[in-house]
Amino acid sequence: MEPIASHENWRNCFSEVAPGLLLFARQWVQSAADAEDIVQDAFIKFWRRNHDIDNRGLLYAAVRSLAFDFIRRDARRARREATAVAETEPVIEPHFELEDDTQSALAAAVESLPRDQREVLVLKIWNDLTFSEIAGALGISQNTAASRYRYALTNLKKTLQPQ
Amino acid sequence: MNDFSELEKDLKKLRPAQPSPVLFERVGEALRHGGPTAAGKATSSWWRFKEATHNWWSLGFGLAAAAVLILFAAVTTERRHEHQQTVAQSSPASETRPTPLGTERSTSRSRFVPAGGTNLVYNARDEGLHFANGSERPVRRVHYHTQQTWQWRNPETGASLRVSYPSEEIVLIPVSGQ
Repeated sequence: MEPIASHENWRNCFSEVAPGLLLFARQWVQSAADAEDIVQDAFIKFWRRNHDIDNRGLLYAAVRSLAFDFIRRDARRARREATAVAETEPVIEPHFELEDDTQSALAAAVESLPRDQREVLVLKIWNDLTFSEIAGALGISQNTAASRYRYALTNLKKTLQPQ
Repeated sequence: MNDFSELEKDLKKLRPAQPSPVLFERVGEALRHGGPTAAGKATSSWWRFKEATHNWWSLGFGLAAAAVLILFAAVTTERRHEHQQTVAQSSPASETRPTPLGTERSTSRSRFVPAGGTNLVYNARDEGLHFANGSERPVRRVHYHTQQTWQWRNPETGASLRVSYPSEEIVLIPVSGQ
């Protein structure tokens, strides 16, 4: 039997999940290139192990784990390079493809959410995970996932409502 | 009732930034060739743990097996050497000359004798009742993880050799019921 990893259908699968995975990875890393490295590693390992895509909670758990590793490594690198980059302006790459000011405001509001709420929101809205899958990926209970999601929406509504 | 349906709808309209085309090429390349991922730089502790567990066991067993082989070879060589020496000395055609004491001593200097062994059980897991090979009598299956250590010592020089390796043992204990 042909190994699944060599099959071209990885491309369909990756096209479908990559944007959401990148957005999820960027909850921890600012640079889009770093997020792509993380997503690439997680996806390849997931695919090589012939995991069913229905078991995709594992894929998100892998992205999260790789991102934490990256943060640890990056912190060390940042300390080493602190003097070199002191004068450089940080480049903030957008997480979304924005069409108008309303979307910009919404994106900014999402990015201002606490991280634990934001990651649940990202998994639910842009990755279509169920609360059960979110709970598995983040290592929390379904109730916690659901309540974080609700808090995230409440906070967004507060932020966006006219003063 | 969902108070947030409008907000959710607006959020879904936000499109996440698309991955670069290069990412697809990199993933395709890595999957085709089984090469390192993302320049092999981002390996999570999660995966590392899963892979390393297997590798460390293999390495441990490999080293232990190599040490045992070396020891076996050393003992065999020594025995052969002693045997040849005896034959040479007892041969009438050979020029018999008493072996100097120093030579004898040097032969025995490389002799290691067993000095002890330990079998440390660091984990025992009761895997419950099983019916082995279609037997009607149940057996309790106990899985032991042990660290075995064997030691040899050279009484002449005081040198010692120790081989330690992890091992697993499954013990089936017959269970009798009323």
